[in-house]
Amino acid sequence: MAIKVENVEVSIGAKKIVHRVNLEIPSRSWLSIIGPNGSGKTTLIRALAGLIESEGKILYDNENLRLLRSKQRAQRFAVVPQNALIPPRMKVNNYVLLGRTPYLGRGFQPTNEDIGFTREILNNLNLLDIAHRYVSDLSGGERQKVIIARALTQDPTVLFLDEPTTALDIGHQQEVLELVDRQRKTSGITIISALHDLNLAAQYSTSVALMVGGRVIRHGTPMEVINESVLEQTYDANVQVIKHGNSISVIPKRGNS
Amino acid sequence: MKKIRKIKSIVALIAVLLPIWVMSACSSNSTQVEASGTRTESGMGSADKELKSSSYPVTVSHGFGDLVLEKKPVRILSLSPTATEILFAIGAGSQVFAVDDQSNYPLGVPVTNISGWTPNLEAILGMEPDLVVHSYLPEDIEDGLASVGIPSMAQFAAGRLADAYQQIEMLGIATGNQVNADQLVTSMKSNIQALVDRSKGLRGGTFYHELDQTFYSITSSTLVGEIYTLVGLENIADGADPDGTGYPQLSEEYLLAQDPDFIFLADTKCCAQSIDIVKARPGWSTLSAVQQNAIIELDDDIASRWGPRVVELLMVAVEAMEQRAGR
Amino acid sequence: MRGDRSQGPVILQTLSFRWIATSGLVLLIAAFLGLVVGPVGIRPDRVFFEILDHFPGVNIDSGLSNIEAAIVWDVRLPRMVLGLIVGGLLAISGASYQGVFRNPLADPYLLGVAAGAGLGATVAIASGATNGDGIVDALPIAAFLGSAIAVGITLLVGGAVGKSTSTASLLLAGVAVASLCTAIQTYVQQQDSTTLRQVYSWILGRLSTSGWNEVLMVLPYAIISVTVMLLMRGSLDVLAVGEEEARSLGLRPERVRWIVIGAASLAAASAVAVSGLIAFVGIIVPHAVRLVVGTSNRMVLPLSLIFGAAFLSLADLIARTLQSPAELPIGVVTAFFGAPFFLFILRSRSESIS
Repeated sequence: MAIKVENVEVSIGAKKIVHRVNLEIPSRSWLSIIGPNGSGKTTLIRALAGLIESEGKILYDNENLRLLRSKQRAQRFAVVPQNALIPPRMKVNNYVLLGRTPYLGRGFQPTNEDIGFTREILNNLNLLDIAHRYVSDLSGGERQKVIIARALTQDPTVLFLDEPTTALDIGHQQEVLELVDRQRKTSGITIISALHDLNLAAQYSTSVALMVGGRVIRHGTPMEVINESVLEQTYDANVQVIKHGNSISVIPKRGNS
Repeated sequence: MKKIRKIKSIVALIAVLLPIWVMSACSSNSTQVEASGTRTESGMGSADKELKSSSYPVTVSHGFGDLVLEKKPVRILSLSPTATEILFAIGAGSQVFAVDDQSNYPLGVPVTNISGWTPNLEAILGMEPDLVVHSYLPEDIEDGLASVGIPSMAQFAAGRLADAYQQIEMLGIATGNQVNADQLVTSMKSNIQALVDRSKGLRGGTFYHELDQTFYSITSSTLVGEIYTLVGLENIADGADPDGTGYPQLSEEYLLAQDPDFIFLADTKCCAQSIDIVKARPGWSTLSAVQQNAIIELDDDIASRWGPRVVELLMVAVEAMEQRAGR
Repeated sequence: MRGDRSQGPVILQTLSFRWIATSGLVLLIAAFLGLVVGPVGIRPDRVFFEILDHFPGVNIDSGLSNIEAAIVWDVRLPRMVLGLIVGGLLAISGASYQGVFRNPLADPYLLGVAAGAGLGATVAIASGATNGDGIVDALPIAAFLGSAIAVGITLLVGGAVGKSTSTASLLLAGVAVASLCTAIQTYVQQQDSTTLRQVYSWILGRLSTSGWNEVLMVLPYAIISVTVMLLMRGSLDVLAVGEEEARSLGLRPERVRWIVIGAASLAAASAVAVSGLIAFVGIIVPHAVRLVVGTSNRMVLPLSLIFGAAFLSLADLIARTLQSPAELPIGVVTAFFGAPFFLFILRSRSESIS
């Protein structure tokens, strides 16, 4: 789904958090929003997902976000939040099944189809063996996969991820992002993520937007946005950017080397 | 001078509280109240209760022991509806200048808006009574009256008929109407005896005396309950008072199963119950008292006071028995 | 993308036939006991035949006297039905509140339902409006109005304070409204001390019936509120992940919140109106149910309804026979027997978990 963001501004109370964002996100791409803490990444994502109000226009395949009803919205976009609220004593299968909520009728009763769909997602993500365990008992990596599974059960065309890798070790980080990328390629989902890890952003995204102080100051391919001078200015950090083939790595430098 | 008065009132206070506390342990200490306002412990045993002359000072016994009245009271304040009835029945009505808001018999009594339950000390003092008769006074009101020298006579709810007679006698002595009081007691006794005689030969039976529509009742350990026993009526509440309060709440099932021969309603005024309402209660149509019209509406006041009109209560009961026998 | 439900683990927990049958059986037993047990001994087999006799076409002489039959049909039956209704209402209302507030300690009296009803009842008793003909009894109406007004104020104040989706402001408003109602109630009581006995017995809760009046009074509200809560129970499961995530799943959390709170408060208010403040049912029953079937509201709400009904009618049985022929206030019984029962369940489950 191609996304057009036109002059979007978000204020929380009297304070303006996001200033005049304009973006074009092609279908099946992966946009990572990077930037220092507090630059408004989460707020922008929430606005794009329709969870909070914003000014300006957000068009999904030329359909205005504001015109969508909540159920329609939830059938198109799924959000993996930064700190998901895990209810105590809820089993994995029931938790993932929640993703079918936007498709349920008035009685909120899942059909056999809903259950089958959920089961398929669990299968694809190798979660069937832990399907009967409580989500709260899982490790960080497993839990994140489960949350993503729930999002995928919404059968979305756009998947929003807010810092999906923060609490994960390097192995699980890879696993989660590979999973998401696979979904992007097989199901054609557009991914928009807030990532503070520059390396991961560089490795997985097709485009990167750099947000500072509520403004998108650079938008382009990872190569274009993630370079040494930009990073040094933005993050006030000492880095070295190494290109190898199509991918880049960001290496923090210490002292004078 | 101030300091001495202060010490005096403290002593008075202690002297008041001490005998009350001792009274509750059933001792025979007694206090003497003199109109001048000080109290002294009397070393004597019970004072002479048999004074027949109406010359003052007199000593009467009341709920708190003995009371000495220096002179004939002519400004009596009655805070007890029963005491009001008694006072007027023994000819002391002219000595009563004010009664509480619940006193309503006989007609024309000088009603005020003073509550017998929550009386206002200042209002009472402002009236300057020379005797206060009550069935309940909070302790601070008692002390307040005592400290100013106003005698108060406690006539608590009588548990037995004999206690009711004694209260009449005491009020007679206190107000100088000894003779009338004696006559009243005598006539009450003879009336009651006449009614008892009338009831002999009539079939007895069981009864239910209703205090309110949630089935509160009274047992034979109360005065009203005792009245019924005089003519051989059996109270169904007697078997339903495990705590011995005298005022048990019956369960509807128990009531129905007991199927009393008579139903006496003492809640026609307070709670607007009536024969028709009782008949309409679901399931009550199976009761024999309902089917044979043996439901009797009582006057709430007559059924809850322990004055001269208890005789009327007995009469209603006997009439109900006669009516049933006549069928 | 069709999945095959029969392959692999069945992943949806529903109200299986096993549960429906069990709860139906429990209800029947509780109902029958309510008819058979009481301060007056009536033989159970005779009651059974009496019930059969009322089936069309069946004609059996049960051997009950007229009075015994009157006791069973006019005294015990309405009271037993009322106990079932009130118990069910309190339990499902408690479960719903716990779902909406995501707080296991939420009880149906939370938003001022209890305090408002108490105030209404006290005013009615003090004004003498509760005497007289029992057909239009002022007490339940006054209690219900008191509840409704108190909850209304809570929702207005709590909902208006900050457009936030947090429920904290609602709870705080509920506390404030409850305090105010209690203060006014105490004042009214002080003015007329003769009301104390009636008010006190109402506060402890009592299932007293004058025929079918109370049942008829509470039935319409019960049907409406229970239907709404049962329809919304799936959405409560979605609310469990928090209001923001629920919104991302397509739910409208505010709407769900108001509807469920409204229905649960209606249920609690109508229960309190006819039976006084019976405590514990709204907390204990849903918790006990959760310990057995898990936290899915899809199961917990209907099972709380049924087991709450059974629990209360059994408690009432105890209340009217333990000190026969005197009666214990039912609130005392629910507390007395409910609390240790809950502790027992808690202990046995925690042992099995560890």
